[in-house]
Amino acid sequence: MTIIEAVDLNKTFRSIVRQPGLGGALRALFSREFEEKAAVRNVNFALRQGELVGYLGPNGAGKSTTIKMLTGILVPTSGKIRVAGIVPHEHRRENGQNIGVVFGQRSQLYWDLPLRESFELLRAIYDVPRDRYNANLRHFNDILDLERFMGTPVRQLSLGERMRGDFAAAMLHDPKIVYLDEPTIGLDVVAKEAIREFIGTMNRERGTTVILTTHDLADVERLTRRILLIDEGTVIYDGSLAKLRDEYGTHRTLVVTLAETYPEIDVPGTTLDRREGNVVHLRFDRRDVSAEALVRRVLDTYRITDISLAEPDIDEIVRRIYTDGYVAAPAVVPG
Amino acid sequence: MAALVPGRFRFAPYIEFGKKAIAREATYRFDVFTSIGSFALRVYVLRMVWTALYARNAAPPGLPLHSILTYSAVALLMGLVLDVDQVSSLYEKLHDGSIISDFMRPISVPLYFFADGTGEVLFHALLIVPSLALALLIVHIDVPSAGAFAAFVLSLLLGYFVGFCVNFILNCTAFWTLEIHAAQLIVTWLTDLLGGELVPLVLFPAALQNVLYALPFAAMFSTPLLIYVGQIAPARYPAAIGLQVVWLLVLGAICTLMWRAGVRRVVVQGG
Repeated sequence: MTIIEAVDLNKTFRSIVRQPGLGGALRALFSREFEEKAAVRNVNFALRQGELVGYLGPNGAGKSTTIKMLTGILVPTSGKIRVAGIVPHEHRRENGQNIGVVFGQRSQLYWDLPLRESFELLRAIYDVPRDRYNANLRHFNDILDLERFMGTPVRQLSLGERMRGDFAAAMLHDPKIVYLDEPTIGLDVVAKEAIREFIGTMNRERGTTVILTTHDLADVERLTRRILLIDEGTVIYDGSLAKLRDEYGTHRTLVVTLAETYPEIDVPGTTLDRREGNVVHLRFDRRDVSAEALVRRVLDTYRITDISLAEPDIDEIVRRIYTDGYVAAPAVVPG
Repeated sequence: MAALVPGRFRFAPYIEFGKKAIAREATYRFDVFTSIGSFALRVYVLRMVWTALYARNAAPPGLPLHSILTYSAVALLMGLVLDVDQVSSLYEKLHDGSIISDFMRPISVPLYFFADGTGEVLFHALLIVPSLALALLIVHIDVPSAGAFAAFVLSLLLGYFVGFCVNFILNCTAFWTLEIHAAQLIVTWLTDLLGGELVPLVLFPAALQNVLYALPFAAMFSTPLLIYVGQIAPARYPAAIGLQVVWLLVLGAICTLMWRAGVRRVVVQGG
């Protein structure tokens, strides 16, 4: 069942063009020139209920603008959106009842009050039945370990504790959909792990639909099967992470630890990427040459103590797409 | 924007917003002590000033020394509540962008600000009790007739709502300017000087008085105070209170228009 649908979605911002200098500032008082900037251009996607989707893109790509339209606080310039059967900006409050939102960079908790008080307030806002509220808090406490700091004013919490609190706060009313905007930014490993487990559990056990915006691709690898890549306002890739890796990351790296020191390393079909003492990184394109053939060549020429094959990491793939643009790679022809 | 009051309206969240605002204000205990302390100091200073002025000048008609001291003490007590900018969180939320979170919730955002601001003011209203006790050690405060007191309370409530509107409008300007401190200072001076908080308007030159009575600042402080000290006689209650109601309606309409335009700016232009 489709729960979120965006059809030909566009959002254009109008801003005043300012001429430089004092003269320009004075001229702007009388005549105003406007400049239109498309933040989101013809975006189309549909999410099924219970999906967990990574929404990726460089800064300023249009991620936040899309999320803001989905929450109903921005009105699209054109196109259609439906979230759980509702047009968000036309029924902002009804939509609000269906969604939960977490911003990594901005807390929604009451700054001056203990965490518990913020939860009580949210219970009243979303009209959560008392027994449901208690059950949820118990469950969240199991994963997020909230009990230790429930009575502490939010401003005294560490970032990790605050984020745990923010996550619990966003999920207290059993939202059908949650939007997570860079939820693990700045967190240490332990807190990141707790947050990821929480997201995964909510998605699996409660069927919560999740849109996850992040720059930390470990979040994506750990949690999502599907990603949407957006750049300059347009969706440039919609599919699985594995497929992206397959299509785009056609190079592999053979990491060889040599048993003795060789002055020159030359394996046909590879380029020497890096050398750290006796450890060499040989880069090759799997469309040109198979790993098997390469391993043979290495073993024929050198004495080694260890060998391993490294897949391209997703960070690198995404970085290349951001800089070069997405071009679907030609079909793989094993060499 | 959805309509202000939807079909299934629940009061519970707004009651809770008010309670949380009271709890929040109570965490700033130091502020409580300083505000009671400075209150006592101001009562003392005004007693000295008025006593000295009255000793050298003839008392204005209908406003003997004990009346002016009552006026000053009650004005300062009212100031404990009316001088609070209970909508300042709107400015703060517009400034740091956190207002977005409020729009993502199933609530009416202006009602949220009203509930939050009222909670804040109710906490400050609690300060009236110890402040009044302290004031009575410094000056004598006249007690009006029951009728005058009832009219005073009604007029004070209207004054509170007028003040809320003034603050709401002031903080709404942050939708466009993101900076409101200069405007805030000007409004504070205007209410202090032209609203009758510091000096009763009856002591101003006659020509100026008529202008000042017509301003909304008089509707906040001067009207309830002049009712309290008997400068506005019962026969003039309807006109005086009626003018407050007119101001409340006018400012309420401006609040609504500014809020809609501001929200439109955020929602359509993206801030």
